Amino acid sequence: MTSRYILQTALLVYFSTTVLAMNYNLLRFQLSSSSVECQELLLQLNGTSKDCLKDRMNFKIPEEIQKSQKFQKEDIVLVTLEMFQKTSDIFRRNLSSMGWNESIVENLLATLHWQKEHLEEILEDIMQEENFTWDHRTLLHLKRYYLRIVRYLKAKEFSVCAWTIVQAEILKSFFFLDKLIDSLPN
Amino acid sequence: MLALLSATTLVLVAGVPWMLPAAAGGTNLKSPQNVEVYIVDDTFILRWNRSSPSVRNVTFSADYQIHENGAWLQLPGCQSVASTECNFSSVKLNVYEEIKLRIRAKEGNNTSPWRYVDSFTLFEKAQIGPPKVHLEAEDKAIIVNISPPGTKGGGMWASDSSGFIYSLDIWKNSSSGERKTKTVYSRDKIYELSPETTYCLKVRARLLPRKTGAYSPVYCIKTAVENKLPPPENIQVEAKNQTYILKWDYAQENVTFHAQWLHAYLKKIPGDNSGKWKQIPNCKNVRTTQCVFPKNTFHKGIYLIRVRASDGNTTSVWSHEEKFDTQLQITLFPPVITMKPTNNASLRVYISAPGESENKPVNHLYPLIYEIVFWENTSNAERKILEKRTDFTFPQLKPLTVYCVKARALLQDERWNKSSVFSDIVCEKTKPGNTSKTWLIAGVCAALFSIPVVIYVMKLLFRCISYVFFPSSKPPSTIDEYFSEQPLRNLLLFTSEELTERCFIIENTNTITAVEETNQTDGEHKKYSSQTSQDSGNYSNEDESTGSKFSEEFLHQETE
Repeated sequence: MTSRYILQTALLVYFSTTVLAMNYNLLRFQLSSSSVECQELLLQLNGTSKDCLKDRMNFKIPEEIQKSQKFQKEDIVLVTLEMFQKTSDIFRRNLSSMGWNESIVENLLATLHWQKEHLEEILEDIMQEENFTWDHRTLLHLKRYYLRIVRYLKAKEFSVCAWTIVQAEILKSFFFLDKLIDSLPN
Repeated sequence: MLALLSATTLVLVAGVPWMLPAAAGGTNLKSPQNVEVYIVDDTFILRWNRSSPSVRNVTFSADYQIHENGAWLQLPGCQSVASTECNFSSVKLNVYEEIKLRIRAKEGNNTSPWRYVDSFTLFEKAQIGPPKVHLEAEDKAIIVNISPPGTKGGGMWASDSSGFIYSLDIWKNSSSGERKTKTVYSRDKIYELSPETTYCLKVRARLLPRKTGAYSPVYCIKTAVENKLPPPENIQVEAKNQTYILKWDYAQENVTFHAQWLHAYLKKIPGDNSGKWKQIPNCKNVRTTQCVFPKNTFHKGIYLIRVRASDGNTTSVWSHEEKFDTQLQITLFPPVITMKPTNNASLRVYISAPGESENKPVNHLYPLIYEIVFWENTSNAERKILEKRTDFTFPQLKPLTVYCVKARALLQDERWNKSSVFSDIVCEKTKPGNTSKTWLIAGVCAALFSIPVVIYVMKLLFRCISYVFFPSSKPPSTIDEYFSEQPLRNLLLFTSEELTERCFIIENTNTITAVEETNQTDGEHKKYSSQTSQDSGNYSNEDESTGSKFSEEFLHQETE
C-alpha cells in the first residue's frame, strides 16, 4: 500500500521539478516566433533599385555571436534582450528617406518591444534569484557593434543606400540570433 | 684574478647607490598609489594617493593608450596636476573601447616610475547619475516627466538611454507616510492618490543587468482639488471571437466616453508623445461603459489604453493608462481525454486537443502542460499531477475499481498563469489484476535458486561416474583408521611390491628336485621336515603360485 503512494508522490515531485525547469521552453518558443515575425516584417520593407554596392560595410558582428559560442541560458536572455533593444533603437531613427510603409515599421517596433518587455521580466527574475556572473565581454562587443551601425547611418546621413545596407545587416544579425535562441536548453 | 674580481665588486657596490639616484634624479620619488577611475554619467575623474604625504612641490601627469602597443597620448585635464584628482571628461573616446591609463609624479626634474591602471572601458566603470524629474499635479494623480541621466543626445548613455528602467519612490509628506515603489515610464502618471495632499517622490534609473543609478533629489508637489467629473476606472479588455471588448467602471450617468490607444514602446522614448495617441474604433462618444472593436486593430504587441468621460460641458482627465498585451488574451481550450483500462489494473490516458478550434491556431503551437486531477469514484481524495506527455499510464491501481479523471491545459510558464477550463470528467473501471507479475518474480527466484542445486547435482553425478569408470587405486580411508600398523597392513593389502626374504635351504639338491616333481603341497611339507633347527624360515605368501615361483627360482640358481 505504502509503496504505491510512494510511487505516486515520487511521480508528482518529479513532474513538479520538470515543470519548474521548463521555464525556458516557453521563452524559446516566444523568442523564435518573435524573431520570425521581425524577419518577415523586415523583408516586407521595400528594397531599392539603386546600386548600393559601394556603400557596403563590414560591421564586424561579434565573434562570440557569429561562432555561436556556448552561452549560459541567463547570458542568452541578456544578449537577446540587447539585440532586440538595439534593433528597435535603430529603426526608430530617421527613416524618411526610405519611404517605407509606416505601419510595417510600427509593427516591427511593436513586436521588438513586446519581446523586449518579456525578456526584461525574466531578467529581473534571474537577478533576484541568483548572484549570477554576467558575461560583460560579449555584451560590450555587442554594444560596440550596434554603435558602429548607428555611426555609419549618421555618417551617411541616413541615405537610401545606407538604410538598405543596414536592413541587410540587421537581417544577418537575426540569423545569428536564431542560432542563439536554438541553443537555449530545454 | 681574485684581486680583479674583488676590485670589480667593490666598484659595483660603491657605484650602485651612486647610480640609482642619478636615474631617479637624486631623490627617491615614488609613483602614486591607489589609482582609481571614478565615472558618473559623463564626468570622468582619476583619483590617486600620494606615495609620501609631504608638502613638496610634486605634480602628477597621466597618459592614456587605446590600442595595445599603441602610442601613449596625454590625458587632457590631467597634465601637471598638483592635487590628487583630475577630471578628464573632455577626452574623445568610444565608451565601449578598452583603454589603459598610466600616471606618475614629477618634482622638478625628477619623475617617478609609471603607475599603470589595468585595461578597462569607460562604460563598465560608469555609474548612473540622478535623472531629472518634472512634475505636474492632477486631482488624484501626478504626471511625472523624467529626463534620462547624462547629457542629452550624447555622452555615456547615448545608445542605452531608451533602455533605462525608472523606479520611483513616493510617500505622503505629512504623517509617517509609507513609501511605495513603482516602476514607471519616462512619461507616466501616478494614480490612486488623494486630492489636495502633498506627496514627495524621488526617482532613480537602472540599466540591466547590474547598473543602478543614484536617486534624484526629492521633489514634492500638492495634488489639485477634486474634479467634478472623475475619470473612468477599472479598465479591462476581453477577447471574444474576432473582437475585443473594452470595459470600464463609471459611477455617474449621462456621460459619453472616449477611448484611445498608444503603442507602449513610444513611452520608452524620452520626449513628448501626447500627439501619438490614436482613436480606438467604435469607442468615441459611446454612452455605455464598454465598446467593441475588431481584433485586427492591434498587431501583436503591448498597448496602452485610456478612457475619459465627458458630460457635454466638462471633460474628465484621462483615466489610468491600462497596459494591454495582445498575447495575454489567448484562450486555451480544454483538452479531450480518453481512458482505456489495460492489463494489470492500469489505466492508459490519452489527451488530445479539442477537435474544432476557431481562431488562434497559435494556441496549438504554444508549449502546453496538462494538470490532471485523478480520483477514485467512491472516494473524494483527489490527486493532482502535472504532465507534459499526451499518452501515459496510471500503473498499479486497484483492480475492478472505477477511477475518474479530468484535465486542463496550462501554459508552461507560471508567469503567464494561463489555463483552460477543466475538460469533461471521464470515468473508467480497471480490469482484474492478474498475478502474472508475481508469477514472473517467483519464476525468476526459482531459476536463481535452482542454479546452485543443478551444479551440485552435476557434481555428484560426475563423482559417481568417475567412481565407477575411473576407480582410484587409493584405499578407502576407513582402512587406514583401523589398520594403522605396518605389518598387518602388508598382510591384508595387495601391494605391488612383494616383501620377500632370502632364505637358504641347507640340504642336498637332488632330494629337493625329486621332491619338487611330486605334489607340490607335499613337497613343501617335505622341505620343512628336512630342515634343520637353524631354519631361517621360508615364508610363503598366500598366493601359492608365488611360492612355487620362488622355489623354481632357487632351483635355477642351484643348477647354474
